[in-house]
Amino acid sequence: MRFMRNRGVGALALALLLSLPLPALAALNIVATTASLGMLANEVGGEQVSVTVLAAPDRDAHYLDARPSFMAALRRADMLLEVGAGLEEGWLPAAQRGAANPAVNSGRETHFVGASILPLRRSITMDGPNVGHVHAEGNPHFNVDPMRMASLGEALARRLARLDPAHAEAYHARAGALAETLREQTRQLAEGVAEQRIVVYHEDLDYLEEWLPVEVVGYLEPAPGIPPSARHLGELVGKLQGTEGRVLYASFQPAKGAEFLQRQLGWPATSVALEPQTPTLEGYLALMRDWVDALDAR
Amino acid sequence: MIKKNVKGTLAGLTTAALIMPTLAMAESGGERDWDIDVSLILEGFYFNEVSSGNQTPAGFSDHDHGHDHGHDHDHSLSDGFNLGHSELVIESRLGDLLDGTLLIGFDEDHIEVEEAYLVTRALPAGFQLKGGKFLSDVGYMNSRHPHDWDFADRPLVNRFLFGDHGLQETGLQASWVAPTRTFTRFGVEVLQGDNGSFNRFMAAGGGHGNGHDHDHGGGHDHGHDHGNGHDHGHDHGGGHDHGHDHGGGHDHGHDHGSGHDHDHDHDHGHGHGGAPYSQQSAPRLFTAFVKTGPDLGPDHALQLGASTGYNRQVSRVEDHGHHAHALEGDAWFAGLDLAYRYDAGRAYGQGDWRVTSEYFHVWRNLDEHVEHGSWEKRESHRERQDGMYLEAVYGVAPRWQAGLRTEALGLTNKVVDFHPTEVESLSTSYRHSAQVTFRPVEPVFLRAQLSQNDFAAAGGERDRGLELMFQVNVALGAHGAHRF
Ligand SMILES: [Zn+2]
Repeated sequence: MRFMRNRGVGALALALLLSLPLPALAALNIVATTASLGMLANEVGGEQVSVTVLAAPDRDAHYLDARPSFMAALRRADMLLEVGAGLEEGWLPAAQRGAANPAVNSGRETHFVGASILPLRRSITMDGPNVGHVHAEGNPHFNVDPMRMASLGEALARRLARLDPAHAEAYHARAGALAETLREQTRQLAEGVAEQRIVVYHEDLDYLEEWLPVEVVGYLEPAPGIPPSARHLGELVGKLQGTEGRVLYASFQPAKGAEFLQRQLGWPATSVALEPQTPTLEGYLALMRDWVDALDAR
Repeated sequence: MIKKNVKGTLAGLTTAALIMPTLAMAESGGERDWDIDVSLILEGFYFNEVSSGNQTPAGFSDHDHGHDHGHDHDHSLSDGFNLGHSELVIESRLGDLLDGTLLIGFDEDHIEVEEAYLVTRALPAGFQLKGGKFLSDVGYMNSRHPHDWDFADRPLVNRFLFGDHGLQETGLQASWVAPTRTFTRFGVEVLQGDNGSFNRFMAAGGGHGNGHDHDHGGGHDHGHDHGNGHDHGHDHGGGHDHGHDHGGGHDHGHDHGSGHDHDHDHDHGHGHGGAPYSQQSAPRLFTAFVKTGPDLGPDHALQLGASTGYNRQVSRVEDHGHHAHALEGDAWFAGLDLAYRYDAGRAYGQGDWRVTSEYFHVWRNLDEHVEHGSWEKRESHRERQDGMYLEAVYGVAPRWQAGLRTEALGLTNKVVDFHPTEVESLSTSYRHSAQVTFRPVEPVFLRAQLSQNDFAAAGGERDRGLELMFQVNVALGAHGAHRF
């Protein structure tokens, strides 16, 4: 046993040596919970920041584990970017606590929460009786609206400028350029989309309504976070029978409900990504085009 | 008019903010300044003992001389409906200086402050201090509450080495998270040592060895008495015959008071006076742990842990009527733990895996004292015991999980027996469990669990028992984030 313990200590020391941090860079170490926020950090922060994204782009950020790698990233962070409004409530508070790094504490200037800066779409959870489902503080999936992302980029620039006044001008300039690109792209893409009705799985893609000529006429989930029930789907079909539209759902959401609607109503069902594959403007612009491609063109 | 009112309100808020600067300074983004999260976790059980086997694994009861007396379960469930272990959790923040947690556990007939602690949030460089009453961070399962478990009951190794509530102690913890890419956290704890019994030993300071469980093994029909404050000093009456019958039911009469009465002598019915050793002053229990978890990408997550602990004084007294034996000494433990998670990236946990395993080993260096009128020191002995479990849970369908757990207790099971006094090697006990869990919505789960106990008795014979449990667990209110 003594031998085993010694060997354990040796292995541990080796693991520590191998994982020692790189020589400190001057860059601000930013941890973003989602790839969309990571995009803002990269685009606004430029070479002044280095960015780590916690949630993989193909995962539901509502439901993740407060895994050790998240705590390790937060331990070394100078700043944390969070979506907020309860999106990460199942795991981020535990990871923040486990990181033992005051810089990522809620309330600090270095903790940037998108949902407390932007106006959010209302959620049906806010009006109905709450049986423990999500979105009680409003719909947190604002990353689906590029106009909100543009505003948030500008807010991030203001925050970065306060934290790092030496580069204030650069932050503002980059956020301005980002906002302009996003607004221009939004305008162009919206022009190419026909007016249409859509059903979405969760209260997330309904943010498309904010910038595209689409009308959300239903959700596959009876309430956010509650899986589709046969009864709810039946009601949807009853309501939408004889009309035209499309069904959109995120790639990590089950296809079953969407396929049911496709069979019953003849509405084409398409799965799309919710987050950019890479946390860059390029990635985000590609995501915007994917959303538009899933809809009927004008 | 309206404007004025708003102004008045703002003025009031400003005053409040000035009076309570710490509370108001925290947020800049317009969020709540003063968070108090309250959650209530309610649990119900339906329990059925399909067939009854040995109640207590050999070497792990406090009166363990070959007989199992009866029909009582050695946990607190009785046949039929039970209010399980429910909790009221209040969590709050003092700015970003401290987190405070109060956790009150209750069941049908007792209520207890299980945890009440503060954790620093403002120390630099990865340091954190925690003080109060809390669950030790040794191992994996010890610091987790029943609501977080994948099975309905506590693993045997945790229960029989650390007590019915695990290693739950009052004291101080200091930890450090290294600034490494691989998550690494070191911690040390200095604990009072009232509950750190390491099996069938009374912690020196009072209270009963196994925390709150006074019900190992058969015989006593008082179910569980949790001694919440008053001096109960039970006689367990005739339940505890040791096989050596000295006539007339020896009272083990452990003093169960865990609250006000700290003046426990080990009160063994026949008044064998005093203890043969001087009591070490508290804190008596010291632990150290390390946890590490590499970054394995979005699909896999792993945490490995190692922990050790030292208890300066453990003791056990056995009253044999006209004479008594006492064992007194110190104890060490060491353990390894592993938690692996696979995230399949599908909705509602389908395809996910959760694998958890722990191994613990305990050593006790004990002096034997014998009393025939007065105490006399005899030989020294070394006891060794261990235990482990391995459990795996798989997301068989959206919102449905199924899991298997296998446990062994006493793979090494060397304990002192009397007449003649020697270190005996007892057999290993096993338990195998299967569970199915359904989560209709996030804060609710329903679970069915089947467990086969294959417990050895001290004499070596084995007896199997089968238990069926249905568990309902509901978390109401602001249920906090789960730790890894
Ligand atoms: Zn959502």
